[in-house]
Amino acid sequence: MRNLRRTTMAGAAGATSLVLALTGCSSSGDGNGTKAPAKALTQSEIDKAMDTPTTITFWSWLPNIQDQIDLFEKKYPKIKVVLVNQGDASAQYVKLRAAVKAGQGVPDVAQVGYDYLPSFTQTKSLLELTPYGADKIASDFVPGVWSQVVQNGGIYAVPQDSGPMGTLYRTDILSKAGVDAPATWADFATAAQEVKSKTGAYITNLPGNDMPQTLGFFSQAGASLFTYDGKTTVGINVDNDVTQKVVAYWQDLIQKDLVSTDPDFTDAWYQGLSRGKYATWLTAAWGPTFLAGSAKNTSGAWRAATLPQWSAGQNVSGNWGGSSDAVMAATKNPIPAYELAKFINNDPSSTIELANKQSLYPTTISTLSSPAFTDAKSDFYGGQQVNKFFADVSSTVPQNQKYVPFEDYVNSSYNDTLGKAIADHGDLKAALSAWQQQLVTYAKQQGFSVK
Amino acid sequence: MTAPAMSTEAEHAAVKSAPVVGRRRRKAERGKQRSSVLTVIIWLTVLYFIVPLLWLVISSTKDNADLFTTFGLKLGHSFQLFKNLGSLFTFQDGIYSRWLINTVLYAVVGSVGAAVLSTMAGYALAKYRFPGSRAVFNIVLGSIMVPLTALALPTYLLFAAAHLTDTPWAVILPSLVSPFGVYLMRVYAADAVDDSILEAARIDGASEFRVFRTISLKLLTPGIVTVLLFQLVATWNNYFLPLIMLNSPKLFPVTVGLAQWQGAAAAGGGAQVLFSTVITGAFVSIIPLMIAFLFLQRYWQSGLATGGVKG
Amino acid sequence: MTAETPRRMALSAPAARRSRGIHAGQTRTAWLLILPFLLVFAAFFTVPLGYSAYLSLFTSKLVGGEVFSGLDNYSRALHDPHFWEGLRRVAFFLCVQMPIMLAASTFIALALDSQRVRGGKFVRLLVFVPYAVPSVVATLMWGYLYGKDYGLITQMFDAVGLHAPDLLSPGSILGSTMNIVCWEFVGYNMIVLYAALRSVPNDLYEAAEIDGAGQWRIAWSIKLPALRPALLLTLIFSIIGSFQLFNEPNLLFNIAPNAIGSDFTPNLYAYNLAFRGQDNNYAAAIAFLLGFVVMIVAFVVQGVTNRKERQA
Repeated sequence: MRNLRRTTMAGAAGATSLVLALTGCSSSGDGNGTKAPAKALTQSEIDKAMDTPTTITFWSWLPNIQDQIDLFEKKYPKIKVVLVNQGDASAQYVKLRAAVKAGQGVPDVAQVGYDYLPSFTQTKSLLELTPYGADKIASDFVPGVWSQVVQNGGIYAVPQDSGPMGTLYRTDILSKAGVDAPATWADFATAAQEVKSKTGAYITNLPGNDMPQTLGFFSQAGASLFTYDGKTTVGINVDNDVTQKVVAYWQDLIQKDLVSTDPDFTDAWYQGLSRGKYATWLTAAWGPTFLAGSAKNTSGAWRAATLPQWSAGQNVSGNWGGSSDAVMAATKNPIPAYELAKFINNDPSSTIELANKQSLYPTTISTLSSPAFTDAKSDFYGGQQVNKFFADVSSTVPQNQKYVPFEDYVNSSYNDTLGKAIADHGDLKAALSAWQQQLVTYAKQQGFSVK
Repeated sequence: MTAPAMSTEAEHAAVKSAPVVGRRRRKAERGKQRSSVLTVIIWLTVLYFIVPLLWLVISSTKDNADLFTTFGLKLGHSFQLFKNLGSLFTFQDGIYSRWLINTVLYAVVGSVGAAVLSTMAGYALAKYRFPGSRAVFNIVLGSIMVPLTALALPTYLLFAAAHLTDTPWAVILPSLVSPFGVYLMRVYAADAVDDSILEAARIDGASEFRVFRTISLKLLTPGIVTVLLFQLVATWNNYFLPLIMLNSPKLFPVTVGLAQWQGAAAAGGGAQVLFSTVITGAFVSIIPLMIAFLFLQRYWQSGLATGGVKG
Repeated sequence: MTAETPRRMALSAPAARRSRGIHAGQTRTAWLLILPFLLVFAAFFTVPLGYSAYLSLFTSKLVGGEVFSGLDNYSRALHDPHFWEGLRRVAFFLCVQMPIMLAASTFIALALDSQRVRGGKFVRLLVFVPYAVPSVVATLMWGYLYGKDYGLITQMFDAVGLHAPDLLSPGSILGSTMNIVCWEFVGYNMIVLYAALRSVPNDLYEAAEIDGAGQWRIAWSIKLPALRPALLLTLIFSIIGSFQLFNEPNLLFNIAPNAIGSDFTPNLYAYNLAFRGQDNNYAAAIAFLLGFVVMIVAFVVQGVTNRKERQA
């Protein structure tokens, strides 16, 4: 039936197009979205909505999120969820933005990385969730993570996973080189020398295409790069003493050919992990399960440790990645949409599976402390309780990572400047200033006032 | 590089030359002797074109580990083709078969439609003199130069306004426009349909449409098949248009679907590495077109020969 | 009536009268035949193009929205190093890749036409086969073949004890892209040229052979000139294709993210501006400028070749 209706409309398309072109009308994202209720919904209103047959669409790039949807549909049999997987995060953002711009085909719920939330709130594409009860679940989540979904006093998503960083290292390679897991960055540099000369492996790989990882390193060193007031003022401070110190450190290792610079999440990089080309992977809490699936042949050789520290005795981590589920402003079914986002990331049966089966590092306090999560031992890590280890790390993540509302540009500009310099073994410091300059120019051009 | 842009020259030259291909060649060729040096050189060049495909076939029999660790042109430690095919057609509820069907649908409807429209327009431009015909032809020619991104975004927005994005129409309707096809049919019709035949039919009192239907169409058949074939390849290989128009994976053609899987495989999203599935999918996706091509090629070549006799 | 052709004028009087009546009918028929195409052409080509032109006259900002800005986007593009860099890259691509591709196509076509190659029929088919492979699959496949530590090319270098080049590095990615495009289209162009060669009347060869001309001589002075129109066309369309390069770099980005920037080709740049950077207006202007450049280059090439032809 749907298709039939569309057939007849095909003829009208040309005419409509013409009118549109003449009037210059283009649909904008913040158009006819749902009007947020003035005050909080009552439970009976929610119950009624959840008992009305409804179909909602959910965009996520997680391959197995259908398992959680199944749980949700079992609990709410009247609600049907259509899952759409656009492949990967960056592909999904492109599609999501195009749909918002066109005012058509926008999903009800979408997975959005924390770093991209301001980009979508700035265009008023996300629904503010307080009236739907989001303020009531705030205390269930790790405070630092929850702060990522709050903007300008409003709640715009439910946290799904986070990425406190640590070191995964190959015991066999390090022991062959005669070194321990490096405790400080100085140790790391020394170990790099030993590993290279005794085993031929690189101590680690620093990709030039992964800004979030670099941001994690900057954050660990204490740099705060961005601010955003939720309106029209942004702060851009990517070129400062701290970041210069960090890039100078890596510059040295790259120059001495002690660190490889393969782009990550590519075929070559997967091969590097499997073949022992890299002795460590400086990664996040979602890394362990991911690695266990990607480099099966190296099972048993890996262990987890904290990130190397800038001064001995410190214990500071950083954050790499993590995402949330947001309700799109264009939704016609805000209640079931919010309930889905809430269920997947807040219901214990769902979150424990996300954590244990899909390598999403949990964001709720109860799951983080649940024995079903922390007690899990992995043969891949020689029986180490990796989850428990990262649960401890998550409290050491500094709360200095904020994002600006044009993350796409920040990212592509990074790739063209600092990322390119890493890949080309060029001048990282100069690239850092170039990045700063590009960002400021762009922000001003887009009408922001820059602090 | 886009297939449509590249296709025209072949169409043009192939068609243009068609009416002149003579049978006279045969006699002289009988006496020619083969050259071993040239044969070796040419067959070495053939290797360049075939080895990558050979690699693709062999790789689709390997699992993920063998794919990266064994020599590319030798079989792996185990023969995994059927397992790969199994996972290819069951992954994400067997959406891959859906993609194949979509591709066939888009390609067939798009190419048949484009061929019909091009034939009519090209014939009219070649065989009728009327005010405005030159202008129309020049506009058609000029449109070949327009880069695809100039159209992509506005087309997307306009389709969205008409609620046509994320429907098969969003892919099919734009592919009906084939300026190349019109151009080619004009060139072909100018040679293949003799004015004197038309005049004779008119003097006999046949209406213009009757002339077109009963006489011209028959003469144009080889050209039409050529347009159809190339348009089929162009729509089959189309990537950019469906990429921007479609959101629902169940509407994807196989090109967009595979690219998405490759992206997902690279992003890793969890512990999922499906390189061998992507490779097998790539291999399977080129089989139908190759078969269709071999099959249609006979028509195409006989079509050229027919044109030759007429000339 | 002024459009009467000499031929019709020469018809006998009654026939001419009838044909005059027919002429109006012919015009109507012609328009009716063209109309369906013109309708879809207008709806899916002209209208979007007009809309795009309209969009390019505005500037949109994340803060402040859309304002009319005349030709600002165009002057911004003319001062945009990303745009020029991409344009320079595709121009270089064109100058290197196209001659190689066309030379290879011509050579194979000439060899096959000479009838001196054993199994020529199979050669024709096998060389043509890559054309049936979608550029998505071709790029994906070559991406694996290029792989630094595991690709077939590296394996082959290793087998003969040589150090394999990194074909996905920033320095070599353009060459690697050229190779993919060559692989896809050599066979195709070969078929075009081959068909053109087959159309040369045999009498010419026979005459040449009687005059004692060798095969190379015949190829040079009879066959190549015969190929000129076909070559000109392949040339023009290679120009258009090269300037619009998109699929291959867009897909190679996944495996060589540092080697291919968001501005690798002007087309990729416009796509990224529109779909990632949210700057539709500027993207539209870039796309228009690109179309303009393509048109100029195509016309210049056509003009130069035509003049040469006239001189010859």
